Amino acid sequence: MTALALRRDDPGTVPVPGSRRRSIGLAVALGTLLLLLVLSVMVGSTAIAPSVVWDALFHPAADIDQFAIRDYRLPRTVVGLVVGVALGVAGALNQAVTRNPLADPGILGVHAGASFAVTVAVGLFGIRDIGGYLWFAFAGALIVTLMVLALGSTRQGQSPVVMVLAGVCVGAVLRGAGSALELTNPAAFDAMRSWNAGSIVGRPVDLLWPVLPFFAVALVLAVAVSGPLDAMALGDELAAAQGVRPAVTRILAIVALTLLAGGGTAIAGPIAFVGLMVPHVARWIVGPHQRWIFAYSLLLAPILLLASDILGRVVMHPSEIPVGVVTAFVGAPVLIALVRRSKASGL
Amino acid sequence: MSGARVDFGRRVLVLRRRRIAVRLDRRSAVVCALLTLAAAGTAALALTTGSYHLGTGQVLAALTGGETGLVHDIVVEWRLPRVAAALIFGAALGVSGAVFQSMLRNPLADPGIIGFSQGSYTGALLVILIIDGGYWQLVGGALAGGMATALAVYVLAYRRGVQGFRLIVVGIGVSAVLESLNVWLILQAELEQAMAAAAWGAGSLNGVAWDQVATGGACITVLLLVAGAASRPMRQLELGDDAAAAQGVPVSSTRLGLIVVGVALTATVTAASGPIAFISLLAPQIARRLARTAGITLVPAALTGALLCLVADYIAQHVAPTPLPVGVVTVILGGGYLGRLLFTEARRRL
Amino acid sequence: MTTTRLLTAALLGAALVLSACGGDGDDAGETTVATRTVTADNGTVEVPADPQRVVTIGNTTLPLIDMGGAPVGVTDVTASELSLIPEQQKATFQAATSLGSSGDQVDMEKLAALKPDLILAQLPDSEFEQIAKQLDSIAPTLFWGLDVEWKTFAGALAEAGNVTDGLSGQQAAFTAKIATIQQTYATLIKDTSFVNVDRWASSDPGTFSIADFGCVEIAQGDIGMTFPEAAAGADPLGWTSLPFEQIAGLSKYDVITYPVDAAGRPTEPFAPVVATNTWKALPAVQSGRALGVFCPGNNSYGPVLRYLDSLDAALATLPAKE
Repeated sequence: MTALALRRDDPGTVPVPGSRRRSIGLAVALGTLLLLLVLSVMVGSTAIAPSVVWDALFHPAADIDQFAIRDYRLPRTVVGLVVGVALGVAGALNQAVTRNPLADPGILGVHAGASFAVTVAVGLFGIRDIGGYLWFAFAGALIVTLMVLALGSTRQGQSPVVMVLAGVCVGAVLRGAGSALELTNPAAFDAMRSWNAGSIVGRPVDLLWPVLPFFAVALVLAVAVSGPLDAMALGDELAAAQGVRPAVTRILAIVALTLLAGGGTAIAGPIAFVGLMVPHVARWIVGPHQRWIFAYSLLLAPILLLASDILGRVVMHPSEIPVGVVTAFVGAPVLIALVRRSKASGL
Repeated sequence: MSGARVDFGRRVLVLRRRRIAVRLDRRSAVVCALLTLAAAGTAALALTTGSYHLGTGQVLAALTGGETGLVHDIVVEWRLPRVAAALIFGAALGVSGAVFQSMLRNPLADPGIIGFSQGSYTGALLVILIIDGGYWQLVGGALAGGMATALAVYVLAYRRGVQGFRLIVVGIGVSAVLESLNVWLILQAELEQAMAAAAWGAGSLNGVAWDQVATGGACITVLLLVAGAASRPMRQLELGDDAAAAQGVPVSSTRLGLIVVGVALTATVTAASGPIAFISLLAPQIARRLARTAGITLVPAALTGALLCLVADYIAQHVAPTPLPVGVVTVILGGGYLGRLLFTEARRRL
Repeated sequence: MTTTRLLTAALLGAALVLSACGGDGDDAGETTVATRTVTADNGTVEVPADPQRVVTIGNTTLPLIDMGGAPVGVTDVTASELSLIPEQQKATFQAATSLGSSGDQVDMEKLAALKPDLILAQLPDSEFEQIAKQLDSIAPTLFWGLDVEWKTFAGALAEAGNVTDGLSGQQAAFTAKIATIQQTYATLIKDTSFVNVDRWASSDPGTFSIADFGCVEIAQGDIGMTFPEAAAGADPLGWTSLPFEQIAGLSKYDVITYPVDAAGRPTEPFAPVVATNTWKALPAVQSGRALGVFCPGNNSYGPVLRYLDSLDAALATLPAKE
């Protein structure tokens, strides 16, 4: 939280690799993602032969092992893919908007809002299933981000620093109120324990349908603002001179990132680090070009999420570790290694 | 005070005792006196309030040894150590925050950034959940966890010296890992133990007794004296590494020393009561605004911290609908206040 | 430093001003009452023979009420726990003063103000250690850790709370019920492999557990039914949450028991398991060998008797083994 007041203002120090290299990198990432999608269906806590997996997908029958593939591994793979894409692009937008390479969508109050709303849903309304939480979490994330946006607006428009600070403060207040509610209500506390870990297990694919339209809108917005955001990286004045309207761009970007991060969090719970790490690595690979950063984030985030999930299935056999716990363990060493390479990615 | 005489442009009081000199201008002195009065008033209020109704007379009689039995226990063994703990721990947190903010030249810095709070929580969770340990084991676990984390962050951030920014980033990374670990540990525990651990994790002064206050107080007193002695090089370091080095301050070792003092202060409090959030962050900022000083000053920060902690604990115990851990209140109040503060400041600046 | 001096001066000043208007509190007269000694995890403690004002902390509340006790002060229980107990006991619980949500959140002064003559507590050791001294200065306190065996616990609690009449009736009913079940299902118990599964509100979505603690310990220990056991010295099996994929692994057991509510529906946390295709495809489920059993609690005889009734009824529905 502390580093958020720091700004990075030197986007020009990174050498820009050629467009061809970037395309090849993108193809490699796509290949890796496809491989992980296959692995995610193949690997699990029970040993199921590849032939059964094949049959489960293409010759469905009422077989107990086939159910395991169709009912558990396939949904968690799809959910991981969708949530990963959402969190990655949200993270990229967030870094571009706040101009801070260390800003996580959690910062703008997304996690705090979703968490608090779910605590209220569980503690005060006694809601117990994910389908019920979903809308609370989504609404909580949206409302809190809008609050942060309103608080973070000065007379001259939105300032990234003020917005991040507003996010920190609103987040703190909600976290306090949430823990007050939990500590006096054991049932709510009990249910929140697992939600707080962040997981893509046990979410039926049906849960995705209502959120997908929001994601689609947000992705279109993200593509639309990527050009103007590139211009704004050099400062609002310069961007305005090129015909970009910084305030409008920023609001559109925030709407998109809120929808993505809010929806992702609503489905999977607060998953740390994906939104922080991935855009960072993307920027390190392709340099300060929003469109490329989006494209890479779009692929790298589900790669991180699915790889972490697969890892979480095997390391504690026969039990599993929620993916939200694994992502930080996988992501933090990368972040630390990055910051030790002093110049990388403008750090 | 060596070197050229600095003109502060305001009336200055210099108090010397042995080798520690505290420099206070008149406004600071007045502010300190007022803070002390406010703290004394809140302490008196806290001593006379409680769900066990006692008259002012009874409380005073108990304080002067004129009561025995339950009334004596309630006032002298329950309420008084709690008030003392709030004051002492609050002061320690205030100074700890002041040291870190000054050192990293960042108004949002506190020992939490180098992973200390998360680390001590991990240590405490392991003690509570795995060995179901008692109080002193908990203290040991929290200290070991916090110190090990702080050390790990320092070592990982070390690359031909420690630079403030790298320290912060590594701290965020390591904290995130520990936070996930903590969430997972909580998930593995039985409900009763998980609740107890979460209450500790929120920061609570419940059941604080004299032996804890005495042990904590002794450590804190020593550390506060060290912090007082280090306040001059600390101020020089605020001017920048090069400027400080030019004045003969050994930059790296001073910074390491300040980290150790700051962390040790927070560690002592955390060990005794769990991580009480936001006081170390806020106290120096509030103090700076009250005293209208340019930099971070230790004495007003200590007094502000003490007052904040006591008021928050009073609210947590007597104003909230059900008694809450004090840390829950400091987070809510702290977040709100910090929001207002940074927000108005940022608006003015932009 | 000046601060310390200022602080001392201010405190002294405040004390002087306040002491000017001092008065005396009146001490309540102490009357001697008959006592006896009871042994608990915190040692042998002298308690009143017939306590009138009992305060219960943590897991002592519902068992004491179950045996006919009426505490004056209690710590909270969850709404779901409360929904499982008989109306009359619920009324007793609600008549008591609430002292806080859990063990270390107890409002000590509120507790002291109730002027109890006996405090009964069951909570984690570490939590008790923090409040032990305060409790002792209020009233004689008996403490049990979470590991205490439930029959020992119920016996000691009954003795301490002077509700042994309620207890002995329950004990007789328990012994009789166990004997009946053992007799009726002798062959079944001998050559059937059971497995008990569960899911709790805190379980991760998409996971369940093979539960080897709770009511199932009675079916295993007292009745002698065969359930999977953890290796000696290892953590209980129930602590490991298993992904739904592993529901398929339950097919190696003859009979599955799973948790249901008083009306026989799967408990709310367990319902997602029953809804899976994997569960429905299990041989035990398809042949009517998955039994819903109601377990309202397992640390006093009242709820345990209701569990045994439910188990009895469930076993009666088992089709004969081919």
